[in-house]
Order: sequence, then structure tokens, then C-alpha cells
Amino acid sequence: MRKIFALIRASWLHVLSYRLQMVFTIGSLLLGVVPLYLISQALQPMMASSVKGEGGQYFAFLIVGLLTYAFIATAAGALHASLAKEISTGGLEALLSTPTSLPVLMAGMIGQAFTHTAFRALILLVASWALGAQLVWSAMLVSLGILTLVIIAYTAIGIMAASLVLAFKTTGPLPSLILGFSALLGGVYYPTTSIPSWLQPFAEWVPLTYGLRPLRQTLLQGATLQTIGTDVAILTGFTVVLMGVSLVAFSAALQYAKKKGTLAQY
Amino acid sequence: MQDMAADSQAPGSAAVRVSGLTKSFDARRPWSEVWRHPFDSESVKALTDVSLEIAPGEFFGLLGPNGAGKTTLFKILATLVTPDSGEVTIGGHDVVRGAAEVRRLMTPVIADERSLRWRLSAFENVRLFAVLYGLSKDEVDRRSHEVLSFVGLQDTGEKMVGQFSSGMKQRVMIARALLPRPQILLLDEPTRGLDPISARELRTFLRDVVCGQQGCTVLLATHSSEEAFELCDRVGVMNKGRLLLAGPTADLVAEYADDRYRVFTTMPEHAAIGRAAPAGTVARVGAADRDGWTEVEFRVAGGPPQAAEVLKALVAAGVEVSRFERETLTLADLIERVMQRAGVSRRA
Repeated sequence: MRKIFALIRASWLHVLSYRLQMVFTIGSLLLGVVPLYLISQALQPMMASSVKGEGGQYFAFLIVGLLTYAFIATAAGALHASLAKEISTGGLEALLSTPTSLPVLMAGMIGQAFTHTAFRALILLVASWALGAQLVWSAMLVSLGILTLVIIAYTAIGIMAASLVLAFKTTGPLPSLILGFSALLGGVYYPTTSIPSWLQPFAEWVPLTYGLRPLRQTLLQGATLQTIGTDVAILTGFTVVLMGVSLVAFSAALQYAKKKGTLAQY
Repeated sequence: MQDMAADSQAPGSAAVRVSGLTKSFDARRPWSEVWRHPFDSESVKALTDVSLEIAPGEFFGLLGPNGAGKTTLFKILATLVTPDSGEVTIGGHDVVRGAAEVRRLMTPVIADERSLRWRLSAFENVRLFAVLYGLSKDEVDRRSHEVLSFVGLQDTGEKMVGQFSSGMKQRVMIARALLPRPQILLLDEPTRGLDPISARELRTFLRDVVCGQQGCTVLLATHSSEEAFELCDRVGVMNKGRLLLAGPTADLVAEYADDRYRVFTTMPEHAAIGRAAPAGTVARVGAADRDGWTEVEFRVAGGPPQAAEVLKALVAAGVEVSRFERETLTLADLIERVMQRAGVSRRA
């Protein structure tokens, strides 16, 4: 854990060295929540019936969707971005020369991005609550558990993208396609029940579908584990399979890059 | 001097053992070629049957022109590139099967200076790696300060590494590598970018402290004569992926330093100069300088005693001589002569 924290700390020191940028990030986050509130208030009458099963309040529905999307975007994008940067600077070779295991290095590389997203999410959540979003705070622990599962599932996609960077120096369209489909079909802006029927079968193959629905049900209306059990079980299945495949892919990509001698080439 | 087969019999148990190492990389083909023959591939041999042993505590220099294969060899030793065939062990651990153990024994300084975190201070850069090298909590800060003072960067405070000169960044990388007190240190041109005084200080530090006091085995790839001749117990010369020769530095210098002497005279056309031919050969006559002194280069077989005879003969014949000196062997001379003897050219 010390090694992960040391990597996260170094990345935070890097981010904080751009002091003005940090101030702008927080400022724009706080200012951005107001138009979201106003738009969702305007749409509330139209959306009320659709979001009835997931809290009933469109503003809170939207905030949970956007927060979760921010986490999955980080999960799917942070590792390959960080890896590409480390490869192009030669930093990866320096890191791999230390007696540090690969999972630890990977966790350290994405740790700053996740803590940054968590920090932004917390600000957004508190600001939304102050603007009237109805949250069930007592369900926070269960909600965090579901969010963690979603994050792990998408981290696996991030690891696959990182494998492509290691082996072929490009992710291709993988992360953007998956994130695009997840935003479109996973229920970020509207419930999956609103999706046209011919698209519904595709939505069933998006892990986010099985994360956002139970997340909203617990955090916005205090649903019990029994109610959300099926969704959580399917999400867990996705997570286990995706993570297994991604770890095999990453290990193979690393061996490939070492064989080709392209570990430090970008 | 020995050829490679003989040299590989280093005394004692080896810190680094390389046997029959071969590595090829895919050659990059032009698009037109890829389009016509998409499934063909061409490879370039980066290393061919390299065998080498380095004893614990030895300072070994690897010399050779660019593209000779030094960096590829270093990357294989650092577990960053997988060999095609052959065996490579570091402290008895195979670099492929025992990569984790190898990384505990050895630290490389082969990365680019961009591998440093430029927005962080030297201390923060070093501190991060102190943790990654597994130093204990109590030791991290103390050791980080210690290695920074080794390389003379203890007073850089909060200054960001991005604002450092190239030489200072190089020193941060060396400090980083010294953190875990490695048993084996790989240095790829460590004094590149350093000013002459810093370079000399670093050489002294490597020789006296790292190798001398700490007993660290050092492998050094260099293009610097000072580093090769002052630091290395033995040197190896590589070209086109082959290790042409390796042996004690002093023996190599003695064997490959031609008996070349330079005489500065106002009478380069004097008959006595030509008469010196039985003893030696006039290799080159340089242009006269402003005061009329001309440099004449002799190749004198028979070493210093014969050179003394040549000088005596010149003076006796009334040739004005202001300087008579033996030429020192440069690294370029050494590499070139080793390659000539091995019958290889530099160009592909």
C-alpha cells in the first residue's frame, strides 16, 4: 500500500503544482451544478413518470448518473492515458526497474485520477444536496459498494485499453466506443426503460445498466439488497469475467512489448 | 589480451553472466512493402551470440559505436527486454524467470531524463523511488537526502526538476539508482551532459565510493575515454551486436596503442627525418604553425627505447626539435583498431 500511496502522492504533487488550474477546476464544478439543477427542474414534469422507479426526482437521478459516468470514464481512461505518458517519457522503464509488482504500479498510476474524481464527486454531491437533491444518506455504504463494482468492471476495460497501448501503442476505438455505448444505453441521462425496444437487448450487455439502476434505487429511495440483488449479481459476473480477461491481456501485452523491445517506444 | 571465449572464464562466481545471448527486432518496413506483402517480416539482429562474465565488484566498460548493441544488452540485463536465446543471469538469477530477484540486486540508469517528474523537486523524485525500492519508512527521507548529497544536489530545495540543467537531471537519475544500495549498477553514459568538473567528481565517486567502498559491480556504457580508461578494470568492445573483444583495460591500451610519436620540428624535410625510416615510419606530416614548427608523426616499432634512439639520431643530425611525445590512445582509436583487427567495418 505504501508504494501505491507514494505514486498517488507524487501524481497529486504534480497536479497541485498547477495551482491556478486546481482553483478553476473546483470553481467550474460548483458553477456547473447550477445549470444542471435548472435544466433538470425544467424537465422534471416530463421525466417524473420515467424515473419513478429510481427515486422520482430527475435532478438527483441525473446527478447520480453523471457522477457514476465520471467514475467509469476515469476507470476506462486513466490507465492507458497514464501508461502512454509514462512510455513516452521513459518513466515506465524506470518504474519497471524497481522491485514493484505490476498491479501495484497500475494502482499507483490510476490512483490520483480516481481520488481526483472522488473529490470532484463529493463536491458535486454536497452541492446537489444543498440545491435540494433527495439522497438517502443511510444507504451510502451499500451505494459505495455498488459503485465500487461498477468501477472495477470499467477498470477492467481500462486495463484492456492499456494492453493495446503496451502492445500496439494505440487503444483504437475501444475506450471511446465502450464509454459512448455506456452513456447512450446504460441509463446516465435517462432510465434504460426509455430506450427504444429494439435497442433494449444491447443495453443488457452494458455493465453500467446493472450498476446505475441499483445505485439509484439504494441512494435515492433506500432500496434493500434483496430488491437489487439480481442487478448486483449480474454486475458482479461482468466484473469477474472482464477483470480476468483484462489481466490475461495485460500480461500478454507486457510480454509482447518486452519481446519486441517496444516498452519505451510510443 | 584474450578473445571472447577465453575472456568468459572470469575468476570467482560471476555477478553478471551472459552466455550465447542473441536478440533480433522486427525491422520497420515501408508502407508500400507492407501493402504488397502484409504477412512478411524482416528482422534486424541487435545482439549475436554475446558471452560475457563480470566478477563481483568489477568495474566493466562497454564500448562501441552507436547501434553496437550496448543499450539492448543493458535493457536485457535490466529485465526490460526479453532475449531470443542464450542465458543471462544476474547474481545467479535468470533475467526472465527471476526478474523480480534481479530487480532487487540491480538498478539501471538507462532511462531518459524525461523519466523524471519535472514538476516535482529532486527530493520528491528521489523519495518516490525510495518507497518503490522498498526502503523502510524510517529510512526513506534519510536515504533520499543522503543520495542527493552524494551527487551534490542537497541544496536544491523546492526547485522543480524541470528547471534543472541537463547535467543536474542526470545526477538526479544517478541518485535515484543509488537509493537501494544496489549490488550491480548499470550506467548508460552517466556523465553525458555533465560539466567537466561534475563529470570528474562523479567518476571519483563511482570509483571510490560505489565500487570501492560499497563493492558494487558497475557496468558502464560510455563514449568517454576518461571513463573507459580511468574507471574500468576491464572493457569490452561491441560492434553490430557482437562483442568483439574484452579484457583488462591496461592490457588493451598497451596492445592497441600504436607506437606513434609526434615530433615538432622546423625542418620537416630534413634528410634525417627520412633516415628515421629504418627505425620507424613517417606516418604524417602536419602543416607548419605560425612560428614555423611542423608536426611530424612517426610510427616507431620497438617501444620507448627505440623512440629514444630516433630522437637521439634526429638531434645528432642537427634537426631542431621542440617536442617529442608519444600519442595517447583515444577511445575512437581503440574501437577503430579493435574493429580493424576483427575485420569488421563500422558501416552496415
